[in-house]
Amino acid sequence: MKITVIRSAVIDASIDDVWAVLRDFNSHDQWHPAVAGSRMENGLDSDVVGGVRKFSLTSGEEIREQLLRHNDREHAFTYCILDSPLPLLDYVATVQLKPVTDGNQTFWDWRAHFRAPGERAKELENIVGTQIHEAGFTGLRQFLVQQIKPAQPSPQEAKAIKTAVFVGEDLPSRTVVVTSAGKPESLTLENLTVSAPDPEQVRIRQTAIAVNRQDISHCRISTTDVDIPKTPGMEGVGEIIDVGRHVNGFFRGDRVVYLRRNPGSYAEIRCIDADECLPLPEGVTDVEASILLKGLTASLLLNRVFQAATGATILIESVAGGLGHLLSQWARSMELVVIGTVATEEQAKFSRDNGCDHPIVVTNGTVLRDEVMRITKGRGVDYWVHRDGSHGLDNILACLKSCGHCAVIGDCGGSPIPLDFNVLQRRSLTISTPVVFDYLTSRPYLQRIAHQLFTQLQKQTITPTIQTFPLSQVTEAHKQFGTEEAMGAITLTPDP
Amino acid sequence: MVKVYRSTVLDAPADRVWRDLRDFNGFAIWHPLIGSSRIEKGHPADKVGCVRNVQLKDGSRIREKLLSLSDYDYTCSSTILDSPLDLSDHIATLRLFPVTEGNRCFIEWSAEFEVVPEKMDAISATVGEGMFEAGLEALKKRYGKR
Repeated sequence: MKITVIRSAVIDASIDDVWAVLRDFNSHDQWHPAVAGSRMENGLDSDVVGGVRKFSLTSGEEIREQLLRHNDREHAFTYCILDSPLPLLDYVATVQLKPVTDGNQTFWDWRAHFRAPGERAKELENIVGTQIHEAGFTGLRQFLVQQIKPAQPSPQEAKAIKTAVFVGEDLPSRTVVVTSAGKPESLTLENLTVSAPDPEQVRIRQTAIAVNRQDISHCRISTTDVDIPKTPGMEGVGEIIDVGRHVNGFFRGDRVVYLRRNPGSYAEIRCIDADECLPLPEGVTDVEASILLKGLTASLLLNRVFQAATGATILIESVAGGLGHLLSQWARSMELVVIGTVATEEQAKFSRDNGCDHPIVVTNGTVLRDEVMRITKGRGVDYWVHRDGSHGLDNILACLKSCGHCAVIGDCGGSPIPLDFNVLQRRSLTISTPVVFDYLTSRPYLQRIAHQLFTQLQKQTITPTIQTFPLSQVTEAHKQFGTEEAMGAITLTPDP
Repeated sequence: MVKVYRSTVLDAPADRVWRDLRDFNGFAIWHPLIGSSRIEKGHPADKVGCVRNVQLKDGSRIREKLLSLSDYDYTCSSTILDSPLDLSDHIATLRLFPVTEGNRCFIEWSAEFEVVPEKMDAISATVGEGMFEAGLEALKKRYGKR
């Protein structure tokens, strides 16, 4: 039987205020009494047409709904039900707002079309009309009354360092250079000058520069190969000083973040191709944005390299580190069970605070395989993120469930990885050796996943722990990296 | 192109209000600016394509053609053929929506037209305030507004 349910109401608030709440396809858990939880599948933004939201209802059941149409100009959106415990068939519903121009009010029309088995038609019509639509009107009214405006980040917080700017002139820049054999002590600050940007470049005064594992490796090998740049660093955050004459879309004063395969970011000022820069949104601080490479690595590991099902188990090595603690938070937000390796009890506590369910303190006597099997009650893990090249691969494969995956990240020091394909084939195991930059060759894709990361930072669903060192203390920062004391990420901040 | 939009809430069911508004020849009954109205060529007022010839209380004349009438979604649209107003490509739409909560209705009245930039503000005000707001105010009094 075909059923149309139309419910409408007048809300005592401006259309902008009402639409601000309703346009968020993922907001029902904040205001609708029937919805206890809501999340967007695949980490999509809530205004991505085609996106799917998953509701957990207060009754304990789940509904999946897909956004079919979203129109800011018309203040309207349309969605359909994909999965529901009730027989609501071919269910399509539209929310439409209209301004009441002779008062500060909004007209809200909410209508649903669906088919239902004849004997349940009346009952379902009533459920949709009262428990979904009318209850929604009441819920939103209460929400608007109670709503406290979210705190805006203070302008000071978001503001980059302002110094006198000499557009087009050569500028002095203290820059880290690897002088001799690769020990942290060999990192020294040199006074270099940075010329005006090339036509396609922007010149940036950097405010936050992440220390990555690649930088440590870079310092170890850089003096042995004359072709490798002398300055480490894969990424940076800063404010644009001036732009090349062919640059489109960036202006002096813009806050940007970038990452690039070729090192060279440990400097106060540098030029970079405008194509490699991403604008930094409000609500994300420069220091937070410095985790770009680690954040994108976590995103790729969880969404692209291997997609573990909800409830699956992931093992993250060095879970208290810069990448590890982000990966752990993110995996947890995707409802994975997280096991992690750490070096100390302090790191174990830290990693628990960052979403790790089962930290394993690895000491000389630890047999990791036994620990993993004990925690998983002999079942093994679905996904293992391995940090240490070829080391221990046999044991990892033995800990994987059938169809499990091991991602080997970071360099293997050039040594060959011994691998018996028969071991993989016997239980449909897979191994990948992802290098982030190979996944980021498309700029639209980079922009999309960076935007997802920034949104997580803005909403504080990902909250990085970042220890900062002045650029002049780069040696101390590198010494700290990877030690038992290190927890979270490390970022260099050039002295203002 | 200029767009003028006005809306309000009337304290009567949509069916009740629509009974009055669907009469393309009945605006003189409730609109304070309209003195008299007739449909040209003796056509019925719900014949799409009919022309309404209206004399305003200030003496000026407006000829409007009915472009659409929908009892299904309470909508009526028309275009101005002749008027003292210096506008062109005019189309106006009047629409009701039931407000199921309280059994009232929401009414919106909108127009789109072309006008020379110098006269944009004046003509927008004539249409928006003179015609639409005055009409909606009269309807609110007629049916009441909570």
